[in-house]
Amino acid sequence: MTRLNTNQWLGLILGLLAAAYLAMAWQIPTFPLPRPVDSDLFPKVLGFSLLILAGFLFFEKPTPIAGADEIDHEATQGPLLLTPWARVIVTSIAIAAYALLLVPLGFVLASTLLCVGLTAYYGYRRHLVNLATSLGVVLALYLTMTRVMDVYLPSGVLPF
Amino acid sequence: MDALNNLMYGFGIALEPINIAYVFAGVFAGTIIGMLPGLGPISALALMIPITFAMEPSSGLILMAGVYYGAIFGGSTSSILLNAPGVAGTVATSFDGYPMAKQGLAGKALAIAAYSSFIGGTVSIVFLMLVAPLLSKVAVSFGPAEYFALMVLGLTAVVSLSDKSLVKGLIAAVVGVIISIVGIDMQTGTERFTFGSAHLLDGIDFLVVALGIFALAEVFYMLLRGGGGKEVPRNVIGSLKLSRGEVKQIAGPISRSSVLGFFTGVLPGAGATIGSFLGYSMEKRIAKDGDTFGKGNIKGVAAPEAANNAACTGSFVPLLTLGVPGSGTTAVLLGALLVMGVTPGPMMLEQRPDVFWGVIASMYIGNLFLLVLNLPLIPLIAKILDLPRPLLLSLILIFCMIGVYGMSFSVFDLLLLLGFGLIGLGMRLFGFPAAPLILALILGNIMEESMRRALQISGGDWSIFIDKPISLALLVVALLSLTLPLFKKRSKKVDASTAK
Repeated sequence: MTRLNTNQWLGLILGLLAAAYLAMAWQIPTFPLPRPVDSDLFPKVLGFSLLILAGFLFFEKPTPIAGADEIDHEATQGPLLLTPWARVIVTSIAIAAYALLLVPLGFVLASTLLCVGLTAYYGYRRHLVNLATSLGVVLALYLTMTRVMDVYLPSGVLPF
Repeated sequence: MDALNNLMYGFGIALEPINIAYVFAGVFAGTIIGMLPGLGPISALALMIPITFAMEPSSGLILMAGVYYGAIFGGSTSSILLNAPGVAGTVATSFDGYPMAKQGLAGKALAIAAYSSFIGGTVSIVFLMLVAPLLSKVAVSFGPAEYFALMVLGLTAVVSLSDKSLVKGLIAAVVGVIISIVGIDMQTGTERFTFGSAHLLDGIDFLVVALGIFALAEVFYMLLRGGGGKEVPRNVIGSLKLSRGEVKQIAGPISRSSVLGFFTGVLPGAGATIGSFLGYSMEKRIAKDGDTFGKGNIKGVAAPEAANNAACTGSFVPLLTLGVPGSGTTAVLLGALLVMGVTPGPMMLEQRPDVFWGVIASMYIGNLFLLVLNLPLIPLIAKILDLPRPLLLSLILIFCMIGVYGMSFSVFDLLLLLGFGLIGLGMRLFGFPAAPLILALILGNIMEESMRRALQISGGDWSIFIDKPISLALLVVALLSLTLPLFKKRSKKVDASTAK
């Protein structure tokens, strides 16, 4: 059996997604009053378009991808936690944790923790400069948003 | 005379102290963000949207427009100093700008970039002032069928002019429209693709998608590319002064590229990148010393810089007069305007002349700021390039978070932002262009509404789209924009095989 290339994999995945989308589009309820165009028409057109395009992609010859060869291959040799993909995964987990902790901890504390923590994790070793800059920027943003622009941001455990 | 009176009215708004401050802040912030490699004007604009929440629409757009052309200008600085264009529109600048910097003429190259940007920007504002009202008069007669066709053309043009695969561009556009119709259908009240979640009833906000697909994905991409702790090499700037002979040499290229750039910008899908490449190649072709292009020819810096700034202003024409953005960047601007409660389009000139003329007048002031304030500050601003990358990445993350949370106060949206960041990274790695997605996201709802209104008028008869001559013409151009690149590719292949 021949191996599938990148475009064929992508075409298959997108084709499956398009099929699932079409199945959902068929479940959109019809409007009680008769209308020339109901809510389901546009999604059905989109679903079929995506399905056809996925088919085209399946048969398109893959070209070298501009960004993929720029991945830092030197870093892949280093410690597991510092490999390029680990950096993306750790950052994603940090963002998810930030989203969940934002309200209980408050904007200033959660943002400073995220900023200082990730900066140190990315390899910046001047911790005092890191803390001062992160806290300064976060506080400036917080005060501008809450005091000047009247945009609510959670204060959390801090009294202000 | 009308245009002059209106411009005076616009200056009355743009010269209010608060708006002058916004122009300066926008131009300055844009210059800094545009200078940072990787962060283009789309990311810059998306990051600035939260700041415009509480502003008057005219002030908000004045700030955003300043960020836009500031980012284009700032992009040239990193192109010249580092050979790392912060913005795609300044790639052509690096062809001769970087060789000049290597010869110790960075200051001269930066000064040429600043003068060319200023003249390109100013000339194109005059064109914008003259063309926009004429076009909006024509656009008033557009019905839903014509609008639908125009939006289809906008999308296909952006897809066809992207340097990536046509199929992948179209897929990105379809996915953009799919995201845009999530939520309650405004015409029937039917829920679509909400998966029973109350968070999705109002749909997915474009800011979440824009920040995710552009800014957050860019952070992820920078993490993948590595260089976390690497510092950027420092350059010697040198003198900023130009001799008379040099001014004479660049006068022609600047004026030609300004006009060319403006009209390129007006075309849907074109914009600063194509404008700058066209300007550069035109000058290279007509110059007597064309063979020195790419080795530090000052005309090779002047032409793309004048063209990209002119194109940037030109792209405001379809946005302000038709309400249809011609590029990803102006799509983000349209989104920002909609958040502020302003719907651009042919009626904007009558309903919101303050926004329309205020922005045009502010562009003159912004261009002046770019020249008078930014040019002497360039050596100082260039120090931003010394900002440690780890700190920069973390700060961009915080800006993304505050942007999304400050708008929706929803933790769910923060998680969505993360999801779109990862999708954006995947798109980038697998060669899917992001601009068609964001444009489709903005246009999706309006497109569906126009299509349904047209079909309601015709009683469900699809021929309405080809019965109306303007709509038919636009659809034919849209089809051509997709098929011509395919024919070109095929003829290139045939040429190559015959050559073999």
